[in-house]
Amino acid sequence: MATKHTDFPNHFLLRRLHSLTGVVPTGIFLITHLLTNSSVAWGNLDSRAKEYGHPGVATFQHEVNFIHSIPYLLIVEVFGLWLPIAFHSILGFYYALSGKSNVSAYAYQDNWRYTLQRISGYLGILFIFYHIATLRWGWTFLIPGGTQWDHNYAASTLAMALQGGGDGMTAAGLAVSAFYFIGVSLLVFHFANGLWTAAITWGITISVPAQKRWGVMCAGLGVALMAMAWASVIGYARLDVTAARQTEQRMLDGKSKPASSADNPAQTSSALPAR
Amino acid sequence: MIATISANPTHATPPTKLGRKVRFRIKRCEGPGKPSTWNTYTVTIDQKGANVISCLQQIAANPVTVEGTRTTPVVWDSGCLEEVCGACTMVINGKVRQSCSALIDHLAPNEGDEISLEPMSKFPVIRDLSVDRQRMFHNLARLKAWVPIDGTYALGGGPKESPEAQETRYALSTCMTCGCCLEACPQFNLETDASKWDSSFVGAQAISQARLFNMHETGKELAPARLDALMGPGGVSDCGNSQNCVKVCPKHIPLTESIAAVGRAVTLHAITKFFRG
Repeated sequence: MATKHTDFPNHFLLRRLHSLTGVVPTGIFLITHLLTNSSVAWGNLDSRAKEYGHPGVATFQHEVNFIHSIPYLLIVEVFGLWLPIAFHSILGFYYALSGKSNVSAYAYQDNWRYTLQRISGYLGILFIFYHIATLRWGWTFLIPGGTQWDHNYAASTLAMALQGGGDGMTAAGLAVSAFYFIGVSLLVFHFANGLWTAAITWGITISVPAQKRWGVMCAGLGVALMAMAWASVIGYARLDVTAARQTEQRMLDGKSKPASSADNPAQTSSALPAR
Repeated sequence: MIATISANPTHATPPTKLGRKVRFRIKRCEGPGKPSTWNTYTVTIDQKGANVISCLQQIAANPVTVEGTRTTPVVWDSGCLEEVCGACTMVINGKVRQSCSALIDHLAPNEGDEISLEPMSKFPVIRDLSVDRQRMFHNLARLKAWVPIDGTYALGGGPKESPEAQETRYALSTCMTCGCCLEACPQFNLETDASKWDSSFVGAQAISQARLFNMHETGKELAPARLDALMGPGGVSDCGNSQNCVKVCPKHIPLTESIAAVGRAVTLHAITKFFRG
C-alpha cells in the first residue's frame, strides 16, 4: 500500500527546505553575525583601530558601517534572513511536536542531543524574536531602560540594551544579558548539531566512521562559535558605555583621538547626544 | 563468533545462586483499550540459565501475587527462544529487548532482586505482555520490501553479486521485525488507527529493509517506487536522528547507516525526478 506521491505542499520538499534553510542562509549568517559581534573582543588586536579610542568598539563600528553600506539592505534582510528564519522556525516548531523525548529510558548522548536540539529550537525562536524586535524593529518597551539601538553608535547602544541603561549593569540588565547568554549558547549548539544531522539527512555522511569524523568537525565549529558568542555577550555586558560612545562619536565626526587626551568620562559625558 | 550472539557479550555471567527468590513486577492489561495495573510475583530460581520466559512459565503455572492473590496467568508472546524470531520482545527494567535472551543471572543475581516487565508501548496491547506488531508488516508492504518475482518461469542463475555488497546485505537481512528500534525511537509513536499508518513515521526497521531490497539485483526494479514512498509523509525525512534505533537493535544492524544511505538515495531520486520528470 505504497502511498502515491501526490501530497501538496510536497512533504519531502518542505522537509529538505527546512533542513537547507537551517544551514543556508541562517547558519552561514550566524557565523558572520558572531564574527562581527565578537569584534568587540578581537578588534582589540587591531592596532589600526586604536586611533579612535577603544579599538574593539571601533572595529565593531567599522563592521556595522560596512553592513549598512550593503545596497537594498532591507530586501536582503527580508528575503535573506527574516523569511528563511521564520520558515525554519515555524516548520521546525511543527515538526518537533511529532516527537516524544525518551531520554529517561534511553539516556544515550545522541538521544540527549536529539532532545536538546528541540529545546534549543523552541527557546531559540523566543530569543531571536526578542533580539530582532528590540534591536532591529525598535520595540524599545521590551528593553529595560528603553534603549534605541543606533547603527552609528553600535557598540554603546547595544551595551546599554544589555546593561539596562547607560549607568552600569542593573538587575534588569543582568536578566537581559543572561537571556542573551543562554539564547546564543543554545543557538550555537542548535547550528553545530543541526549541521551534523543535516549531513545524515541529505545522505552526505553514511558510514558510522564518516558520521563521527563530521561530528568532530561540527563540534570544533561549535566550540569556536561558542567562544565568539560568549566573548560578544560578556564583552557588551561589561563595556564602558561612555568610553565607547566617545570612540563612536570620533568615528562619526571623522576625528582621531587627540594624542594628549585620555578617555575621561567626566570630561565628555555631556557630549552624548540625548537619546 | 558465538559470543556476539549473546545478549550481553561483554558481561560475564555471575555465578547462579540456586534457590534464590526473584520478584517480577509485571504490567497487566486485560485487553485492548483496558486500563493497566501492576502485579508482583515471586519466582524461585531453581535452574542454571533461567531467563525471563522460563520464569513467566513458572508464574503461569502458579499465578499467585506476593500479596497471596490468585490472578489470571500472565500472557506473553514467544517463538524461537533463541533471539531470532523477535516475538518475545518486551520492555524489561525500562529498556526494550527480547525476553528469551534476558538471563536472570544478569538481571537479578541476588536474593530478592526485582525485574520489571512491560509490554512495548508503541504497539497496541493484545493482553498483558503480548502486543500486536502488525504495523511493522504493514510498513514493509508500504515500502514494497520484497523481491518482485512472479514464479511462472525460471529466472536462471541470477546476476552476480560482489562480496562487499553481500556482506552489507547480510547484516540488513538479519532483521527479525522485533520492534526494538521502533520502541526506542522518539519519532515513532503508538497509532491505534490503522488508517493513519501510511502517513505516520515508518521507522528504522522498514527503512533498513527498503535499503536491503534496493541493493538486491532483482529487487532494484522496485527501487523508484520504494523511494517515492520514502519521500512521502512519514518517510525517511521524518527521522529525528536520535540514533536510539541502532543502540537497541539486538542484531546490531547498522540502522543509522541505512537511514543515511536511504537519505542519499532519495536526494538523488528527487534530483533525477526534477530534471527528468
